Amino acid sequence: MRGYIVKRLLIALVTLVGMSMVIFVLLRLAPGNIVDVLFESAGYVDQADKKQLERELGVDRPIAVQYARWVGELAQGDLGKSYRYDMPAWKIIKPRLPVTLELAVLALLFSILFGVPCGVVSAAQQNRPIDYALRVLSLAGLSMPSFWLGMVIILLFVRAVGWIPSVTYVSPFDDLRANLWQFIVPAMAVGYRSSALIMRITRSAMLEVLREDYIRTARAKGQGTRAVVWHHALKNAGLPVITLLGIEFAFLIGGLVVTETVFNLPGVARYLVDAIQFRDYPVVQNLTMFIAIVVVLANLAVDVVYAWVDPRIKYGQA
Amino acid sequence: MSLRRFVRFASLVAVLMLVLTLPAPAQAPKYGGMLRIHPLAAPPSLSPHEESTIATVQPASACYSSLAYFDPAKKQESLETVIPELAEKWSWQDNYRNLVFLLRRNVKWHDGKPFTSKDVKYTFDMVRGAPDAEAKLRVNPRKLWYENVEAIEAPDPHTVVFRLKRPQPSLLLLLASGYSPVYPEHVPVAELKTKCIGTGPYKLKDNRPGEYIEFVKNPDYFIKGRPYLDGVKWVVIKDRSTQIAALQAGQLDVGGSGWNKANAETAKKGKAELLVVENDSNVNDNVLVNFKKPPLTDPRVRRAVNLALDRKAYLVGPRLGAATFGGAMLPKPAGVWGLPPAEVQQLPGMGDPVKQKAEAKKLLREAGFTASNPLKLTVSTRALAIYVDTASWMVDQLRQVGIDAVLEQIETGVWHPKMTRLEYQVALNLTGTAVDDPDAMYFENYHCGSQRNFSGYCSEEIDRLMAEQSQMLDRAKRLKLVNEIDRKLQADGARPILGWAKQYAVLWPYVKAFPQHENSIYNVTRFQDVWLDK
Repeated sequence: MRGYIVKRLLIALVTLVGMSMVIFVLLRLAPGNIVDVLFESAGYVDQADKKQLERELGVDRPIAVQYARWVGELAQGDLGKSYRYDMPAWKIIKPRLPVTLELAVLALLFSILFGVPCGVVSAAQQNRPIDYALRVLSLAGLSMPSFWLGMVIILLFVRAVGWIPSVTYVSPFDDLRANLWQFIVPAMAVGYRSSALIMRITRSAMLEVLREDYIRTARAKGQGTRAVVWHHALKNAGLPVITLLGIEFAFLIGGLVVTETVFNLPGVARYLVDAIQFRDYPVVQNLTMFIAIVVVLANLAVDVVYAWVDPRIKYGQA
Repeated sequence: MSLRRFVRFASLVAVLMLVLTLPAPAQAPKYGGMLRIHPLAAPPSLSPHEESTIATVQPASACYSSLAYFDPAKKQESLETVIPELAEKWSWQDNYRNLVFLLRRNVKWHDGKPFTSKDVKYTFDMVRGAPDAEAKLRVNPRKLWYENVEAIEAPDPHTVVFRLKRPQPSLLLLLASGYSPVYPEHVPVAELKTKCIGTGPYKLKDNRPGEYIEFVKNPDYFIKGRPYLDGVKWVVIKDRSTQIAALQAGQLDVGGSGWNKANAETAKKGKAELLVVENDSNVNDNVLVNFKKPPLTDPRVRRAVNLALDRKAYLVGPRLGAATFGGAMLPKPAGVWGLPPAEVQQLPGMGDPVKQKAEAKKLLREAGFTASNPLKLTVSTRALAIYVDTASWMVDQLRQVGIDAVLEQIETGVWHPKMTRLEYQVALNLTGTAVDDPDAMYFENYHCGSQRNFSGYCSEEIDRLMAEQSQMLDRAKRLKLVNEIDRKLQADGARPILGWAKQYAVLWPYVKAFPQHENSIYNVTRFQDVWLDK
């Protein structure tokens, strides 16, 4: 297993190098750079000043040199300086990471806690009223965009109780209760969509497993429905759900732009979009790399969990 | 009833009536509380001298002071409403060629260092790009404002003299703008992008870029007894619906920056207690017609585009009835320099839409564009809702005269660069000028070669007249000349104005003395007089 993980990490490294090249080149293919944005939006352009600033920021150098400099700095843990805010990029990115991570983890947690049991019940009660109700619920979750759902929830809260989650970020270390109130609503709005997916995957995997011979054997041996469904069947139906969780977590890290905007959470995704608009290369590059790393690690984690859940899977053996 | 009794009774009634008819005594301001408000957008920095967005001026104003400022209580900004700030008084000398400021004594920067005339000289030498300036701004958007300043002298710690090349009475207005704070000489200018060392009523407590900016009361503020508030918190909320919900839920005390009429009404509808204050503003919707790009080099085509845009339809359409009509200068009564209302009614696009559209078609035919060979135009605009709504309406109006128009949305980051390089045909733009004065509006937007003259319009005669009006000391004569320039600009279709948008402040009733000016949105957020009746 250890050998397998090392091998996967090496492959991940190659993937990340490739990703860094793609990110770097794509960003520079977009029209305009930060110096254009800074100077020309100000309305006064002194060409000498503009050239000086290009030199200062290093955007006048060949792309290969700029890339080498970025990778070199990254390897030393230096994320460069935000062109827009004129301050170290790490100082801007750092406070945003826990916000997005907390939201993603809570959303995923909600989707598991809601999606998996619903999927199991739906499969166990196939073609009964509860199954129909849960299928409608999951279809609704897939049909409603999370940002729309978030906005509807906010409007309902304002109308019904005159309250909405705090619009300024509350750290869990300052006030855990307020922090949870702030995150639970957006986590549910985002997690509902994921839970709908999980519910459907769990249901179909469970239906397949419940027809297996060993389930019939377990029942014949006198095991109760609860033990059969929740212990034997669910464990074996869990692999596709785990795959989905990996994909969803990766999506949640980078794909929460609108939810973060609607709930005014100062997270990574919302900031990334702003940084792209202002061609703030160091911030965009480093945030995108962060998301790429999370995706790669999430995939690795999924593979490791496979082996843990299903003893038949053995990595690194011929 | 005896006469004596009658007189007594009548006197009592008279006193009672007098008491009842007297205005209620003004409520005494209360101290304390934090004002929570949202800016237009996330401020790119806290340095007003390096930015050209209201998003920076709004929060940073609470921290800084200028030599003079506009009286927050007077709705219309003008020379008469300029009040002393860091300067106690000022005087013009040598026939308006020297502006002498006598500065307040015992003013301290937020870090405790004393404020002197050296700080003023340092700031404005830097902004005007003086060769011997001690510091240089990385980006200097308002260098043009101070082109007429020949030298700045600080003969003693409490006196500053601005020496001008030619008379310019409006310089005082420019110096009173929210864009003209005095910076501390002892703090490197680059640091002021993220922190704020000023002399203003509030000190910076915390700056979280893209999240919030929090200020606390400056106990050493030079105006005794001010400010009333304990602090001001500018909360960045990007989404308009969330801004409205936060105001309704009581997480904001004031909302409205960048809102249109529908937003203000929605907020009020959800919480009837909220107060909606509507005012004119010095932000106009204008059409950029590229003077350098054929076939728009043909005056007939430019005029046809101008005539095709029915201003009354614009008012009821994208602006939902919340705008006023005018020329290049903000119309009266909100504006000081606008064209007379009767003349505004005669401007292109203001007449009978059927006749004007017929004339537009005729002009297009004369220019060689017919139904089989229509004029193809791309209407560019910034990819923001407030721009796109009006630009979409424009496309429809142009199609009504046979122009094959399509909409192009340009992302914010490259919008200004594209306009500066004239990489467009026709564009819908919004223009706000910090001060309602021709020296700010005309030079910035219509002067040959100005970087913000986005249409490429250039007239030597207009440039000459601009310089002439700038030096005029007689207000009435100046107004006449300013109007004459405006007429010529409208006749040339230099930058057709669709209308001047209204602005909104939506606030809880306990917010008192919240300032809103009719002719500028840039010079009101010092908040030294605002208080909360809680």
